[in-house]
Amino acid sequence: MKQYKCYRIVSILFLVMLSTSCQKSVELPIEKTGTLKISFRNTVKGIPIVLGTGNYTNGFGEQYVLTKFKYYISNVSVSNIDAVSSETNSYHLIDEAKPASLSFSFPVKIDSYGSLKLLLGVDSLRNVSGAQTGALDPLNDMFWTWNSGYIMAKLEGNSPQSTVVNNKVEYHIGGFSGSNNALKNLTLTFPVGKILDIREGKTSEIFIDADIDTWWQNPNDLRISTDPVIATPSAMAKKIADNYSKMLQVKDVINY
Amino acid sequence: MKKQVTIGFILLGLSASLLLMDACKKKDTAPVNTFNPTYISLKIPAGWPTPPLDIYANNRLTEEGFQLGKKLFYDGRLSKDGNFPCASCHQQFAAFATYDHDFSHGFNNAFTFRNAPVTFNMAWMPLLHWDGGVNHIEVQPLGPITAPNEMAETMDSVLYKLKAANEYKTMFKSAFGDEEINSQRMLKALAQFMGSIISANSKYDKVKRGEDNFTPVELSGYNIFKAKCDACHKEPLFTDNSFRNNGLALNSLSDRGRMRITGNRNDSLKFKVPTLRNISLTFPYMHDGRIYSLGQVIDHYRTGIITSQPTLDPLLVNRIALTNAEKNDLVYFLYTLTDTEFTSNPRFAQ
Repeated sequence: MKQYKCYRIVSILFLVMLSTSCQKSVELPIEKTGTLKISFRNTVKGIPIVLGTGNYTNGFGEQYVLTKFKYYISNVSVSNIDAVSSETNSYHLIDEAKPASLSFSFPVKIDSYGSLKLLLGVDSLRNVSGAQTGALDPLNDMFWTWNSGYIMAKLEGNSPQSTVVNNKVEYHIGGFSGSNNALKNLTLTFPVGKILDIREGKTSEIFIDADIDTWWQNPNDLRISTDPVIATPSAMAKKIADNYSKMLQVKDVINY
Repeated sequence: MKKQVTIGFILLGLSASLLLMDACKKKDTAPVNTFNPTYISLKIPAGWPTPPLDIYANNRLTEEGFQLGKKLFYDGRLSKDGNFPCASCHQQFAAFATYDHDFSHGFNNAFTFRNAPVTFNMAWMPLLHWDGGVNHIEVQPLGPITAPNEMAETMDSVLYKLKAANEYKTMFKSAFGDEEINSQRMLKALAQFMGSIISANSKYDKVKRGEDNFTPVELSGYNIFKAKCDACHKEPLFTDNSFRNNGLALNSLSDRGRMRITGNRNDSLKFKVPTLRNISLTFPYMHDGRIYSLGQVIDHYRTGIITSQPTLDPLLVNRIALTNAEKNDLVYFLYTLTDTEFTSNPRFAQ
């Protein structure tokens, strides 16, 4: 009996020492998480776009072909009434030409969430903080070199209604300060009856459509015939950002 | 017997635990950190203000980073045809401006749009370029590297060339811990070199430190300077970094300066107040190099200012009254701002 007690003491002592001695190298999970995947589909009125060949028509009857379509999504978080779970170092360049860029995933604290918050663009701080890397690398051709700052959204193509060389259409929309601030903080709600239910070790996915048709109207008219090119932070660029701030819509939420 | 067995178990348990502890300790220190750069700091000259922004807040200065930045600054690989390193327009002997050029030469016999600005004391410049369009020293090189009339390259191509050069693998590793070469590291290294170029050893500085004396003419010029120029060319940096219209006619390039960046009509014809340090070396003057000598610059302020311009700086509406004698003394004072120690300092040389 006595001996048994001693065994117990020794083994407890052993276990305690074992557990404390290795603490430094063991990563203790602070909170339980699941994975949230967010997927983007770029469309014109719900029809997925095809770069180079798809023919589209805006609300003014102007036809256009798209050759480039990309935009920044940053500072992503999901929230409910009590809690917010944010992605760290949250910068993504959604580029129609690069399929791998059309979705991204990050860990989220287990909970149920009713909305998604994001910034359409790159926050002002990162516009003034020098050389960045990853999605914000100037190699991505989304940084103005002569007037420091990020192009928040870029749409390029051609249109018979364009009056400039090669019938080009070029919208490089940016500007992060003052009256030309084109940054759009958005809160996207989910379709009726859908909830984001993050469970431990499981993946949930939010499906977002970006509708390019929103660029041309409401509240500001953008006619290719009058403005085929907008490529500086300006009042006109801000007007376009006001339009495209309505382009993102959550189409579905699936908890796998 | 029982006691002995028990003690034995305890000892066994303890020694096993100790062994395990030891094993864990070893694991903690196992990856040997070979990245051991020489940290250096930006030396702020006595009496100078603290830089408005800590340009090295996210880019800690190291000797290795400085040396890498210097190599990049002098390397033609950063340009399309190899002929136009940063230093082709920013020459040390010309205080890092282009000597005796109104506009600098770029790729394919092109001219730049503006007179090359100096690249010293940049840690005290919150906005760069004549129009203030560049907001951080790290992103500054992107402009000239990619401009078709300057270095005419793409960043992709520059990085491709750097990755192919063995010496850069070694230098990036010494500066950043591993051989990865990317745009951020390249730009941070350039910022380490460019931002460390400080000019603070002119005769003026020596007089201020009590190591030298102005001649009577220089002293007279200094007093005139303090009375009539100091409002914009503020000591000790000899600029207040503001944007002002000093009454020059619009040039044939229709260069409206700051308005290009802000889109604001009130900023038409406003350009950054340049530093007057090393001014004797940085002729010709103004944003387009239209004025050749210091005497002619002073004449512009005496009689040449176009006072009908709506955005003309309020300080210049009556031009600046200076006698010929005052003009003479002022020029002699401006010569005291030349820092030959800095223009010949091997630390900044190729």
